[in-house]
Amino acid sequence: MEGFIATKLDDFAQGKISRRRLIETLTSAVAALCATEDAKAASADPALKVALVNHVSYTCPNFKEAADWYSKVFNLDQVGATANDVALPFGKKAEKPYGVTANDVPLSHLIIRTRAVNAPAGAGQEPRRKSRALVDHIGYTVADFDRDKARAELISLGVKNVRDGGLYSLHMLDPFGYDVQISGFANNALTDG
Amino acid sequence: MERFIADLVKDFETGKVDRRQFCETLALAATVYAAGESAANAAPAHGLTMLGINHISYNCPDYAKARDWYSSVFGMEITPGKDSGKRANLMFGPEPGKGGNFVVARTGETTSNAKATVDHVCYTISNWDEAKVRAALRANGLNPTGRDGSLHVYDPFDYDMQIASAVQENAFRR
Repeated sequence: MEGFIATKLDDFAQGKISRRRLIETLTSAVAALCATEDAKAASADPALKVALVNHVSYTCPNFKEAADWYSKVFNLDQVGATANDVALPFGKKAEKPYGVTANDVPLSHLIIRTRAVNAPAGAGQEPRRKSRALVDHIGYTVADFDRDKARAELISLGVKNVRDGGLYSLHMLDPFGYDVQISGFANNALTDG
Repeated sequence: MERFIADLVKDFETGKVDRRQFCETLALAATVYAAGESAANAAPAHGLTMLGINHISYNCPDYAKARDWYSSVFGMEITPGKDSGKRANLMFGPEPGKGGNFVVARTGETTSNAKATVDHVCYTISNWDEAKVRAALRANGLNPTGRDGSLHVYDPFDYDMQIASAVQENAFRR
């Protein structure tokens, strides 16, 4: 919240928003925060509070091709390969996720697979239901993000359809036409949208 | 290495390090450099360095329903000032801009031309307590499948959501 207020104050000081807009925005934010806190107090169980994304399960026609692309573009190692999938952790074995101090929150990773979309989550389980929702892209945070440099690097690697996204990011397509977004920390929950 | 040496020379010239320190430092650096040269040569020379997930872009028929479910059941925080009436940001983990993740819940297109799909997303629960986790899921009307420490439920739009402990879901323990 403090970061959000500081951002808005900066916008006001730089003439990007009017005094009225500043007041309206902050008032709306405080109201939303109060409502959120009330809702959390009423229903969220601490036992289920999520700490971080553990993994993204990505399914495509050729997991090796996809994994090699993600390894090349994002310098990711491939570990634990099976006949149908492989994991790509966002760091080395002993490292903690960026910004995390807890010892029981592992590095986020991609699991890249080739399997039916409705394949059961585990042996002996029913096929997955047909979803009415879609994760249409994943946004990744990369180190030392500079949009111009990143764009040039991606193009030099042969990445397709590299394009600007909002103020802080780039989008691209992976080998199977899946939308991938990258940014630095400037793109976050307080600035996106 | 050249840059490192140049800086070291500058430090020496300006008196920040003495001759002994200069020599010891450079010798140590040379040893480390030599030992790591083969690994360095094997590493990709190009590409970007991935730090983590920034956000999950989630489209569904009714973003408000998803917003309320993910926030009330799994404690994701609705970002103040980021609910447009068509989308909302749901943040969790470290602070925004310091490693935190967020879900963008949108009312939007749920079909895609891509040949790939994200069939589920798994979230880590810290301080995993099997009995409490299962009881909390049941209290929310959910019927988890999977195994201890790694459970699947369906969200209001039948999207597969997995939650897991660090022990059961870890890239290095597959």
